[in-house]
Amino acid sequence: MDALVEDFAARRPGGLEGAYALWSRLFFSVARHALADDARAEDCVHDALLRVWRAPNRFEGNRAMLKAYLVASVRNESLAMLRSQTRRDARELKAVRLVPETEIEPPSVDPVEAQRVRAALAKLPEEQRIAIERAYYGNKTHVQIAEELGIPLGTIKSRIAMAMRKLQAELALTGEGRA
Amino acid sequence: MTQHLGDEAELYPLGVLDDDAARDVERHIAGCTVCAERVTAAQHVATSLAASLPAAEPSSELGRRIGESARPRLQTVAPTRAWDLRGLAIAAVFALAFLVAGWQALALRGRVAADDLALVTVVHSHFNHVSMTPLSPKPVAAKILYARDGSWLYIIADEPAGTVHALARTTAGNTIDLGALAASGRTASLLVRPTQRVRSLSLERDGTPVAAATLVYGGTR
Repeated sequence: MDALVEDFAARRPGGLEGAYALWSRLFFSVARHALADDARAEDCVHDALLRVWRAPNRFEGNRAMLKAYLVASVRNESLAMLRSQTRRDARELKAVRLVPETEIEPPSVDPVEAQRVRAALAKLPEEQRIAIERAYYGNKTHVQIAEELGIPLGTIKSRIAMAMRKLQAELALTGEGRA
Repeated sequence: MTQHLGDEAELYPLGVLDDDAARDVERHIAGCTVCAERVTAAQHVATSLAASLPAAEPSSELGRRIGESARPRLQTVAPTRAWDLRGLAIAAVFALAFLVAGWQALALRGRVAADDLALVTVVHSHFNHVSMTPLSPKPVAAKILYARDGSWLYIIADEPAGTVHALARTTAGNTIDLGALAASGRTASLLVRPTQRVRSLSLERDGTPVAAATLVYGGTR
């Protein structure tokens, strides 16, 4: 078995430290995108990783699965923090940020992967692309997207899910997932 | 498991579901490999989406904090470690039988045979035991066996599914995070060899205390 995954599954500290060393930029970028604040993003990454680390369930899977699992955990933690903050402040969520195409933006976490994602998104029907961009890049819930677009909730859920399945197929066609 | 997940399997990794719906997905995939694989596949897509976000660099302090938090300050021993001590384990089952009789609520019978290391430790020690006082509207039933000399303690909880976490207060006044109890079947447990004597111990679920106990050392048994 992969030593990193083995250490993580066995809860040896090197497992968490190794995963962080490999993917810290990705974790932080995910949290930073949602929270737009460096200090809160760092707290978010710390709390998300420690929550996973201390969970009673033993991780089972390979390195790519571990990466995806940890990224999802950071994403969920950051959205929970964002929504909690939004409720407290009674403020609107931040404006939607779509995938940059023409404007000048900082480099992506992984420029090669970002290019594949942009190409895959461009192949989606417009209504599906809009739905998933608002969900992922805009940090919106499906309920918020349905309200914004004036479309039934079930329709939005279907569009996002369909977009995810198509992206999955398209990204699989254009290369293996990189851990 | 009568029905597989609908679109929620693909929505879950994006974080767009509300808390209740997300918990429903987590409960479902814990027992459904088909849907767990769908969620994993969707997580890979979400990871690709994450790679397209603007890059941001964390401070070096974050890595240090995470490393520090990951390292236990007490030596903990995984209770499920495989040791070839079956003979001693069988002897330990008999030695513990008198305790098991009083612990029906903890469903200890199905657990002891797997915890060879804990059983061997118990067999070779003089120990006390205490039932933890239930706290909160959703308490956890739990018991602690602990060496009279304070060299080890063994926590057993009737709480397999939840995230139950143990915190110790030492006689020196330090609060120490012992980590999560490891789930096994219907129960969860944790064997700890503290470097400082533990005076009291509490269990938390999602940050809420659910059980607590004070340890009294010495005794004649």
